[in-house]
Amino acid sequence: MLYFRSEEDIDRWCKAWNMTRGGVMTLEQGWRLALAWYSPDRRAPEWRRRTIDEVEEVFGEIGLISPFWSLK
Amino acid sequence: MNDLDVRAYVYDVTMQSGRAPSIAEIARHFDAAGADVAESLQRIAAGRALVLQRSSSEILMVPPFSAIVTPFAVQSGGVSYYGNCIWDALGVPAMLRRDAEIRTSCGDCGTEMNVRVENGEVHGDGLIHFALPPTQWWNDVVFT
Repeated sequence: MLYFRSEEDIDRWCKAWNMTRGGVMTLEQGWRLALAWYSPDRRAPEWRRRTIDEVEEVFGEIGLISPFWSLK
Repeated sequence: MNDLDVRAYVYDVTMQSGRAPSIAEIARHFDAAGADVAESLQRIAAGRALVLQRSSSEILMVPPFSAIVTPFAVQSGGVSYYGNCIWDALGVPAMLRRDAEIRTSCGDCGTEMNVRVENGEVHGDGLIHFALPPTQWWNDVVFT
């Protein structure tokens, strides 16, 4: 996941690397996703990875609802 | 020493120092054989809680931290860290629950771009691009 100055920079990068444009989020959405993903203490014995349903719930709360973000 | 002990120790060291412990360091800490530590790391990585280097089985990623230098440098609490990507760079202050400065650059033009996390708020101007959908993130997590 890379960081870009603008939509135009993303389009130029995709063209240069022959990549299809993927999912784009604002910095605020990225921060909210980082908080949801990485706040739980991974040193704790009870920590576990999220289920697919739990991940989709997090995506939905952040507004990542396009088909690109679907896990099923 | 069980896998949960090893995972906790790896995270503890990395969160405090910004540096992932080597197999030898983990073995010394637990007074265990290096081969047993390596097997434990392999099991933890199979559960996708760590990523190991392909050539040596040493730790490559302690998500969100990178064990090697990346273009996503994070300063927090006087410690230098590296994120594996911009999302992981944001994950560093999220995990540490501290303010942080992220120094990176535009993926296209290379212009310096800084992000600041202060009092739980993020400050910066850029956009984050995920080239791959989440169903493909773990096909090649280093590329992702």
